[in-house]
Amino acid sequence: MRSGSVLLAGGIAVTWVVVYLVTQVIVDPPLGVGTTVVAGAVASIAVVLGYPSALRGPRSATALRRGPEPRRGTRSIVAGRTMPLRSGLTADAARRTADLLRPLLGGDAVAITDTERILAFVGPGEDHHRAGGPVRASVTLKAIASGRTATSRSTAELGCGEPDCPLAGAVAAPLMVADRVVGALVVLRTGPEPAGRGQVEDMAGILSLHLELAEADRERELAADARLHALRAQINPHFLFNVLNTIASKSRTDPEEARALLLRLSDFFRYAVRQDGQLAEFAQEYFFVRTYLTLEQARFGDRLRVRYDIDPQVLTAHVPVLTIQPLVENAVKHGLADKVDGGTVTLRARVDPLTRTTSIRVSDDGVGMAPEVLERLDGPHLTAIPDGGRKGKAGGGERDRARDHEPGDGDGTDGGRAHHLHTGVGLRNISQRLTSLFGERFSLDVRSTPHEGTVVDLRVPLR
Amino acid sequence: MDDADTRPADTRLDVEEHDTPAEVDAAFRTLRRVAVWHFVLFLAAVLGVPALSLTLGWWSGARIDGGMSPGFAMAAFGLYVFFLAVGLAAATLSSAVEARMLGGAHDEGDDRPEPQDTP
Repeated sequence: MRSGSVLLAGGIAVTWVVVYLVTQVIVDPPLGVGTTVVAGAVASIAVVLGYPSALRGPRSATALRRGPEPRRGTRSIVAGRTMPLRSGLTADAARRTADLLRPLLGGDAVAITDTERILAFVGPGEDHHRAGGPVRASVTLKAIASGRTATSRSTAELGCGEPDCPLAGAVAAPLMVADRVVGALVVLRTGPEPAGRGQVEDMAGILSLHLELAEADRERELAADARLHALRAQINPHFLFNVLNTIASKSRTDPEEARALLLRLSDFFRYAVRQDGQLAEFAQEYFFVRTYLTLEQARFGDRLRVRYDIDPQVLTAHVPVLTIQPLVENAVKHGLADKVDGGTVTLRARVDPLTRTTSIRVSDDGVGMAPEVLERLDGPHLTAIPDGGRKGKAGGGERDRARDHEPGDGDGTDGGRAHHLHTGVGLRNISQRLTSLFGERFSLDVRSTPHEGTVVDLRVPLR
Repeated sequence: MDDADTRPADTRLDVEEHDTPAEVDAAFRTLRRVAVWHFVLFLAAVLGVPALSLTLGWWSGARIDGGMSPGFAMAAFGLYVFFLAVGLAAATLSSAVEARMLGGAHDEGDDRPEPQDTP
């Protein structure tokens, strides 16, 4: 988002330069100040409004799955993601960290190890204290074994077989993640007097904090992946049974349609199992939704009507994967399946260029949700509002519309009782995934009126 | 779940796939939106030239290279360049919209046959 803002600022600057050249340099006589300002303002507005359009060219795919790259050349050691070890205790990160720490810790050489190997060694003696070699220094082994800082004043305690090794004094401080020792920071000197023990301990503490944060990041990513896998694994067998029954019944009356439905079913499962990343192009998610609704329309016939209202700019925007289809599925399963006359599911997708937001709305004119069900859904990142403040009685279809989201769980009959017991499990799954992806920068609102329908609004940052 | 594709490579060729009316309707409305916006741009440019001639004296009175007034230069060259740009943009965007909103999956290699397990 930051690079996009820079691009926009650059575009506006270029626009004003062009306006100035045209109105003050090229034309003779030059235009008045007022006219120039008006022309510049009009051109700037046009640039701002047109900036996120498809005319600006393809978006960078690599920038979509990761946050902004850390700035190179930053010397900040302590704070933020500029610390190389923030990405974990790897040889490359250790090498860069040792480079950064060497001038700061008052030592001639700095080494970072894990519990068994030297990951990085910078300074005098690096010709024989090679990265990748085993940890031999007794001072380092002592620090790793005891979890406390150890000091050495002689070359013998460094375990160095090189007779000409210039190093003598050393301070080794353990690197800890929680209560576990994962490595050591070793500061060495050419003389017998070791570097300041307190300074090395403090720095090891800071590095340990970064390693803990790196581990927390990894766990968060794993949790997000697990939620996605859970959602994918929740494809309900009832959906498959119902679609296969529909296809079986059509295989006699309309074999061509039956074959087409089989291909759609194959597309549906293929998309569900092949999504590896957390974000996908909206067009792909749209295809998934279309595939799902085609299968459901084969079941429901004229009772299920669909309307798509898609902004052209949104097609290339990236949205969280497997998020829209569960919302659409809920509209079908809970909104329309219980309604005798059926109804219309509407998917509306827009891009707001000024706020750089992608808005997705899934609405239906089905049975709606009872206020108490909405109350149960309400949460920190999930707003559930009874539309118009009406209080409906929890009865009939409404009572059961705790809108769980299980991909493909589109059963409105036999499996119905089972999923009435769920209370928005899928919605919470989606909400948690959105939180891990966007933090506070998204909104998921559910508005519903009993007997009139439900509207789910999802707003995520434009990627 | 195993993602092995057991579908033969040429299966899709045997079945005529067609989009549903709702999908075609959606693509039509999106393309119509693209067309309307580009027509608005086109109209603004076409009407802008005489409007500037009527409202701003410098548009006709100022001189740029070759003694041309800005209005003359715009009518002689600028509008054609603009129309070309708008036309290309509209065509490119419309093709992209149609490709993304109709037909099957669009991710690369989607229909690549994968190695079959040897029985």
